[in-house]
Amino acid sequence: MDFGSVLNALILGVSIASIWLIAALGLTIIYGAAGVINMAHGALIMLGAYSSYMLQHYVGVPYLLCIPASFVIVAIIGLILERGLIQYLYDRPLDTLLATYGVSLVLVQGVRLIFGSDPKYLAVPEIFSSNISLGFANISTFRVVVIAVTALLVLALWILFYKTRFGIQVRAVMQNKEMAASFGINSSRIYMMTFALGAGLAGVAGSLFGVLNIVLPTMGDSYVVQAFLMVVAGGGTLAGTVIASGFTGELQSVFAFITNDTFARFVIFLLIVVFLRFRPQGLFAKGGVRR
Amino acid sequence: MKITRRKLLTTTLAASAAVGMPHVWIPGSRDAWGATLKKGAPLKVGVLFSLTGALAVPEEDSTLVLQYAFDEINKAGGIGGVPVEPVIVDAKSDFSVYSEKTKELILREKVIALFACYTSASRKAILPTIMQRDHLLYYPTCYEGAECTQNAICTGPIANQHSKDLIPYMVENFGKKVFFVGSNYVWPKESNKNAKIWLEQVGGELVGEEYIPLGSSEFGPVLNKIRDAKPNFIFSTVVGASDVAFHKQFKQEGFKVDQMPIASLTTGEIETRAMGAEFGAGHFLSAPYVQTLDNPTNHKFVEGFLKSKYGKNGVTHYNMEETYLSAYVFKAGFEKAAAAVGFENVTPRAIRDHSGGIRISDDISPEGEVWIDENNFNTWLKPKIAQCQGDGTFKVLKSADTHVAPDPFSIYPESGVCTKDGLKAPDGKIRKGVI
Amino acid sequence: MNTKTSAKGVGTDSETTMGNPYHNKTAQWIAYALFFLALAAIPFSVDDDFLLNQLATYGVYGMLALSISLCWGFGGILNLGQGIAFGLGAYGMAMTMQMQTQTAENPIPPIMLNNGLDYLPFLWWPFQNTVSGLIFAVGIPTLFCAVFGRIMFKARVSGAFFAIMTLAMLSAFYTIILDQQAYTGGVNGITPPSPLQLGSFQIDPYSPAAYWTVFFALLIATVIAKLITQSSFGLVTQAIRDDAERVRFLGYSVSSYETTIYTISGLIAAVAGCLWVMVVQYVSPAQLDVGLSISMVIWAAIGGRMSLLWAIIGAFLIQGGQSYLGDAFLSTWLLILGGFFIVVVRFLPNGLASLVEAGLGMLASKPKETSFREPSGVKPVPSE
Repeated sequence: MDFGSVLNALILGVSIASIWLIAALGLTIIYGAAGVINMAHGALIMLGAYSSYMLQHYVGVPYLLCIPASFVIVAIIGLILERGLIQYLYDRPLDTLLATYGVSLVLVQGVRLIFGSDPKYLAVPEIFSSNISLGFANISTFRVVVIAVTALLVLALWILFYKTRFGIQVRAVMQNKEMAASFGINSSRIYMMTFALGAGLAGVAGSLFGVLNIVLPTMGDSYVVQAFLMVVAGGGTLAGTVIASGFTGELQSVFAFITNDTFARFVIFLLIVVFLRFRPQGLFAKGGVRR
Repeated sequence: MKITRRKLLTTTLAASAAVGMPHVWIPGSRDAWGATLKKGAPLKVGVLFSLTGALAVPEEDSTLVLQYAFDEINKAGGIGGVPVEPVIVDAKSDFSVYSEKTKELILREKVIALFACYTSASRKAILPTIMQRDHLLYYPTCYEGAECTQNAICTGPIANQHSKDLIPYMVENFGKKVFFVGSNYVWPKESNKNAKIWLEQVGGELVGEEYIPLGSSEFGPVLNKIRDAKPNFIFSTVVGASDVAFHKQFKQEGFKVDQMPIASLTTGEIETRAMGAEFGAGHFLSAPYVQTLDNPTNHKFVEGFLKSKYGKNGVTHYNMEETYLSAYVFKAGFEKAAAAVGFENVTPRAIRDHSGGIRISDDISPEGEVWIDENNFNTWLKPKIAQCQGDGTFKVLKSADTHVAPDPFSIYPESGVCTKDGLKAPDGKIRKGVI
Repeated sequence: MNTKTSAKGVGTDSETTMGNPYHNKTAQWIAYALFFLALAAIPFSVDDDFLLNQLATYGVYGMLALSISLCWGFGGILNLGQGIAFGLGAYGMAMTMQMQTQTAENPIPPIMLNNGLDYLPFLWWPFQNTVSGLIFAVGIPTLFCAVFGRIMFKARVSGAFFAIMTLAMLSAFYTIILDQQAYTGGVNGITPPSPLQLGSFQIDPYSPAAYWTVFFALLIATVIAKLITQSSFGLVTQAIRDDAERVRFLGYSVSSYETTIYTISGLIAAVAGCLWVMVVQYVSPAQLDVGLSISMVIWAAIGGRMSLLWAIIGAFLIQGGQSYLGDAFLSTWLLILGGFFIVVVRFLPNGLASLVEAGLGMLASKPKETSFREPSGVKPVPSE
């Protein structure tokens, strides 16, 4: 257990954390702002990957442009979803869980019907298929890209929520919908925007995961539960999710380094349950109403 | 839905007994198959693979190739003079659906044999039913062995055949140090136990062994361990979507295929296509079949299949070829049984009992001649070592000189030897239906 | 809303004023009796081993939906981890059945031998004896629910948080069972080679005996659950569902009530797990898969979580649809199913039961009762 290996494990932890985080970002926005338990999040991630695949394969868009394009496409799908279904369910949060599960069934099967069930493949520039080696520390270039994109998104979201008028409105609606409405904030519109934003973020995650992993209709399923745990452990706030993902990523990397991958997962699930036992409101409890 | 008087009587009895005196619960009939064949009626066989869900990737191909094989058989006159009628059902990638559909195929459709399953877990889910009804399963893919059921015929390589040549070949060409990576379940573990035996024989050294949760796509920690252990090559039994992620991250993390190639038992044509040929190129595969095998039978098979209406996925890989063979093993077994006991008296049991030693000659079998073992009903075959090329196809570098015998209990000699009638323990006792 | 939601449920006005028969206690018991009579008639009228076996599996799913309905519809506790109780019960039963087939010469199951264990692990000891095996198979999951529920509810974890916690717990169990192959068989699970042996009698999964076993288990579970919902204990749980804070202020120990209803629900699921293995002779970690646990909730939601009977019917309908329509529609089946969920959740928050409720309300010609979604019942679960 020399120094280099430990350092490598820690660096890898940051990368794993960024994957957990980017998968959870969209969910944080949607759950945090609207209290919607979006089980279709995995399907939206999958749609992001397929959007990129489609653009790359049929239109020939370069990969780096596919990322923002996936954001837009999936955000539009999210918007349609919100207008068509979710907006009727805001006062029934547990029902959103069921309805969105239905949505994910439809989306996954729909994609399978259109694209078939064989895996697709996203091509990336050659430079991403290499690694950066700094003496004893190693990390792949694409992992750095994921970390960078994640960091950028977190920064952008922070600015959006804390430095813009829209952010103030979102936070007002989060704290007290009726009060916000009495100040002339159109809460329905705010919900719509945040849902679309959250969906778009899932799209970005999808176009990144498509490179790390495999593009399949079911590819998003495995991310839903872990993303939820991040959001809940973080208390539904942006900062909470960032810290929860950071801890979990490092823990997973270190445990996987000491023991094995499967056991690392088990420990993480258990630790989250224990943690939430003592802080059921998550890392950062939201001010205002108790949900 | 007709109420026969006897049925009513027995069930009433059973029901009242069930309420009153639980000790007279009648056991159900343990009749075997419970149907007879009629001359002239098509031969119904069950085809049970997942057409939807996560397992659809390999299993849809199995369904397609079986349909192709049965079409081909029917065009050539069918089996025993009657056409085969495949009853195709979707197992939805759900093990309880496998179990339910197996019962439906056997009890309701009265099929004479089942072609089913890709994963061991689904096979384990349907075997109790198959065994209880004394039915017959054609399991057309590689698996771990260690079963002796008297109700299954397998046309893929089992753990003791698969890596026998691969490990010595890799050690000879790349060096003695090897790192084992596998998905976390029984097949990789069994395969690795066998691989260790071959490794010991050639004086190789195992520098690490890691198992990844099924379906996991995070290979960072494992690749870090590999980097520290500095093996000469990697022996991989990672399956499915994980395998694609593994090969992709291998390259992305800066590993070089010419310095440390991955020798896999599973990375075939569909996997390389899904990861992109650049991630697969240079790695090794051991399988009885690859699409580019150069022989007339294979050319005919590949061409015929891809041109047919079933060839929409554009590939033939080892799993499909093994499935294709199983249809012909069934044909030969059925015809042999029919010749021995008469067409009307053929049962799944009779087919199985007459299948031992059946040879599929190289004008039918794309991988070359194979035959069914007379004791354990797995397949004698020649594993081939192939290397993935830049375009995603595989080039055969070495084919075994002789056929390798299947031995499902090779690493458990204390359990016994699988014979026609059951697992024969060292003390001579025979146990039936060992799963 | 089925039976007795909120204060109306005490049964004074709804029974005396001859309102919607849907809310009438006697009518409800009659409906339950009819349902079970219909199920009991099947083995007498059909000579089809497969159908009996299939219905027995559906019966097990019905029990699961019932347990969800009890816990969620009446207790307000959304449990996405019912697979824990179901799966642990199933594993216990599979271990018992596996040990029944081990003889003195072969005391160790093959899964252990194949994983390099040449002794019977401690974990398996209780299952060597059928009686203690069955007790442990039901007891361990129940105990788990009691302890886990106690810890969580004491900390006032509720609503969506509790749902996510059960999900996390489920994933933890799934992972560890998958990992510990020498003890659990890993992803392949446990396949006992022969059916359950009770004394000198074998319960063949295809015989009417298996069907009747499931039938009576479902019947007993339903009657007990129904009696619970009508008891004063049941009324307090329903009050907690509607407003936990208020009940707490009234001096009730909310967490004890929540733990109890959660544990009873877990017990039913554990029994269902045992029966499931009896019928299919197989268990694998797929029984602890997140998808299955969500399916259980969906059965209850489609049928009507506020009605025990309709939850059971929901399970029968969805599973029956999957078995029969699933093949007819093949690749569009999941689209249809997903779309159906969406429509039901969107327009019928209390499932198909609310259609019946509205229909009966109209028949009773009380115009006021016909509203599809009664205002008082629209928030069945505190939006906590």
